[in-house]
Parts: sequence; structure tokens; C-alpha cells
Amino acid sequence: MSSTPGPGLTLARVRGTVGWGLFAAALLLYPIVFADAFYRDIGVTFLLAAISASAWNILGGYAGQVSVGHSMFFGLGAYPPLLLYTLFGWSPLVGVPLGILLSIALAMAIGMPTFRLTGHYFSMATIAVAELIRIFVSTWAFVGGAIGLQGPATARGWWDVTFRSELPYYYLFLAVLALVLAVTAVIERRRFGFYLRAIKASERAARSLGVPVRQTKMKALVLSATFTSVAGSLYALKTGFIDPDSGFGILVSVQMVIVAALGGAGMLFGPLLGALILIPLQTATNTWFGGSGSGLTYILYGGIIVLIARFEPGGLFELWHRLAPRRWRGGDAA
Amino acid sequence: MLLEAKSVAKAFGNFWAVSGADLAVEEGEIIGLIGPNGAGKSTFFNCLAGETMPTSGRIAFNGQDVTRASPEARARAGIGRTFQVPTTFEDMSVLHNVMVGAFLRHPHRGDALDHARRIVALTGLRPEQRARSLGTPGRKRLEIARVLATDPRLLLLDESLAGLTPTELHEAIALVRRIHEMGVTIVIVEHIMEVIMTLTKRVLVFNQGHVIASGTPEAVVRDEAVIEAYLGRAHRRHQES
Repeated sequence: MSSTPGPGLTLARVRGTVGWGLFAAALLLYPIVFADAFYRDIGVTFLLAAISASAWNILGGYAGQVSVGHSMFFGLGAYPPLLLYTLFGWSPLVGVPLGILLSIALAMAIGMPTFRLTGHYFSMATIAVAELIRIFVSTWAFVGGAIGLQGPATARGWWDVTFRSELPYYYLFLAVLALVLAVTAVIERRRFGFYLRAIKASERAARSLGVPVRQTKMKALVLSATFTSVAGSLYALKTGFIDPDSGFGILVSVQMVIVAALGGAGMLFGPLLGALILIPLQTATNTWFGGSGSGLTYILYGGIIVLIARFEPGGLFELWHRLAPRRWRGGDAA
Repeated sequence: MLLEAKSVAKAFGNFWAVSGADLAVEEGEIIGLIGPNGAGKSTFFNCLAGETMPTSGRIAFNGQDVTRASPEARARAGIGRTFQVPTTFEDMSVLHNVMVGAFLRHPHRGDALDHARRIVALTGLRPEQRARSLGTPGRKRLEIARVLATDPRLLLLDESLAGLTPTELHEAIALVRRIHEMGVTIVIVEHIMEVIMTLTKRVLVFNQGHVIASGTPEAVVRDEAVIEAYLGRAHRRHQES
């Protein structure tokens, strides 16, 4: 992550590039090697979790503003595609930009008051807003109320983004994930990324160096909300169904936090690593314990939160850095 | 006049931490603010830095009123500050810490990187080291480097040299000298008289929210009111007898 080459660091960077190149190749080949629908579905779920958590990571990880209400943007992205289809029979794709616009509007509206709060108070405020929206949506018949909305059952054309196979979804999601990670990687190197990390470390110190804290946080929130909204749209397109719980439920928000924190919040590939571990684990528990699996998900999440908070707040990447022998990770210059 | 504070006062409830302090700083000066604990110098310092808003009074920087300006606006205007307890960005390297400061005047990464490298070299820190692994002297040095990267015209140092060993102290004094020679005006809050005596030409002494004396450091340490403020009346009675 360091920008100055020192002794041994160039080698580390080469190794890192090769490592991630191999990982990218593995992601590209996965659904072809594991052609079974079950495994492809896990792959798609993994990608969606990685996209959402990477979107959350911009605000929660880099800027340290831990939102536990990001489902508000996920839901706002998920509803419009299916709503416009239900109302007018339009392609669900039309709803994607609408979801983004709504999410940006909501981000700006909640950013103003909530950024006055810090730490846990900010987190609690975001939970409250997300829950308010969930309850409101479940009582509003226009958007399907508690029952929810459905998408096209069979595709009228490619523009309905409704496929029998998991394969098109897999590569669509992979492309979006690549986009989110690319944007994050660019941010990380630029002034904006430095300002986010400075704000996370100490707002007071950041201010004293001329960092416009309020605007910087707002930019991070808007960007984070945009990508989370896209994640929600992708979910709706793939599932063809959305209800208040799967769109605005707290579990949606909590998953983003856990996936990012498990791998390493505020690190480019943290959410990816987190999703790589959590999603297979979650699928396994759901499969073994059948329909009662969703309750078990809560227990799993709770357990992971306790473990991360107690033993490794930096996530698995931090653990790796602490434990791995120097020659494995290529040796830091220091 | 680079900085002009006029009858600055700050009340916390009924308690006046600072009651009517004046300070005029010419470009190129090094001014010391001293006084016993709780004298109000830190509160006054925070009013200058924009951390606390004065209850009354006026602060002008470079001819512009900054009394109510935010810390970030002051940084943009050219007022830099350090903290009494160092607040470095722990997870970032020394170089990246300094880059945060450098980005203020150099929005592009490459320029900020070059600028930060120059500043880090000046302070003798290792650019790759994580801030977390620095000791107190290193942190204080890093804080100075970070704020220096914002190209301040006025630097407010809040006990930046406290808690150092004699060798570290001499290195730190040399660093402040070098910064001053670069043309930066400095206001320094300090307990250590060695720092005040060697660095400053003019000193303001605070006691119980008032400026009780000002002048050259040599004159101030002989001032009766100052001696009394530091050592109490008993000391004077003892001397007289």
C-alpha cells in the first residue's frame, strides 16, 4: 500500500500483483469450473456481498463512519427496478438510475444532521433511519407493502435482465465489483482517500491541516450510497423479488459491516476476503440446518462481531500482517 | 501585523479562563506564551487556533478577521498548529501523515508527495515508518512536519517540546530554529524555560486569565509579578526576610 519503493518493497509489490492476478483469474474461471447451479449461486451471492461491503467500505472503512443502516440505500436501489416493471411494465434496468438518484438524495438529506454525530451515535442514527424506511415501506401498498414486489417471470428480451442461468449474473456482478474496486483503488491514492483516512484517525487533527471534514464525509457518503444502491438493484434483478426485509432489513446492513470488518475495513481487498469466508460459511449453515438457517445467521454474525472486536479489530488482513513470516508477505521495508 | 488579538476573553460558565488578552505578532517573530498551570494560556492558544470560539474580543490574521473562522479555514489562511498531546494518524506511514498536510496546497498526488518528502527529510524522520511505532519525540516531530507541509505563515506550537530528553530537546530547538529561518512566524506555548530563553525574543506571561507581563524573556523572569505568579507570595516573604 506504500507508495515509496524501499529495499525489498518492489519485490513485494510484484508478488502482490501476481497474487491478485491469480485471484482475478480464479474469479473469472470459477463458474466454468464449478458449473453446478448450486456453486454458481454461491458465487453470485459472494460477489453481491463483496460489492455491497466494498461500497460500505468507502464510508465505513476508509472514513471510519460506521453506518449500520446502509440497507436504506440497498433497498432504494432494489425497489425502483421492480416497481417500474410492476407499474408500467418497463425494463427493470430503467429503475437502476432512479434508485441511484433516490439514494443520493437520501444520502444528502441524512448526511447533514447525522454527521454532527460521531462514533456510536452516528451508527445508531443510521439504524434508526433505515428501520423507519423499512417500516414505512411495509405499510405502503403502492410499493407492495409487506408482501413486496416481483419482477418479470420470463424475459421479453435481454433488457429484462432475467436469465435462467446464473452465468450472466455472475459476470455482470463481477464487472460491477471490478468497477467498485477500481474506483476505490483510485480514491485510495488521491487526496480524497488521504483525507478520509485522516478523518478516521482524528477529525480534530484533520481539521487543523485544512481538511474540509464535513464536505469530505458527504462525498464519501454519496459515493458509498451510489454503489450500495447499485448492489441493491443487482439483487433485485437477479432475484426478481423484493420485500421490506430483504431490501431494508437490518440484516442487510449488518452483513455489509461484518463482511468488511472480517476481511479488513478501510482496505481495498478487505471486503473481498471477508465475503470469501463469510458467504460459504453462511451457505453451509443454511444448507445444514435447512429453513431454520436464517436464525442461525444472526448467531453467526454475532459470534463474528465478538471475535473481531475482541481479538482483531483490524480484520484478517491485519492478522496476516502480524502473524505471517516476513518472507511470505515479501518483507516490509521497515 | 501578521496576527492581532484584541481583548480576547473566554468564559466557561461563570469562570473566565481568559479575560481580555492582547497579542500582536509581527511577521518573522518568535513569541512565547508562558504561565503556571491553569493560567489560561492554553485556552488563549485554542482561541487563536480556532478550536474554541472566544466569548468576546477580536482576532485578525493578515488583516482579515478570523475570530469565528473554523480550524480548517484558518489552516487555509496560513495558521498551522500542533497539539499538546500528539494526534498523529496512527495507521499511516510518516510520509503519508505529512502528505495529508501537503495536499492542502498541492492537490495532485505527485506534487504532494514531492513536497512531503522534502519536509520529512528536513525533520530527519524515516518516511516508511508507521506513526503508531513512533515514540513521543518522533510523534511531536511528525506533528511539526505534518503542519509544516501546509506551508503555514504562522505556526502555533502547543508544548511541542515537552517531555523530551535533553538531547532530543536540543534537536527540537534546532528544528524550530530552522523552521523560523524558513520565514515562518512562531507562537509557542511552553513550560520549559530553556526553550523560551533560547528561542523567543518576546514573552507573554499569563496568570489567572490575565496577561501579567510581557517583554524580553530576560526582563520577564526578573519581573516581580511573574515571580509571584509562579512561586507564590510565600516565596517573596522568604526573600524579603
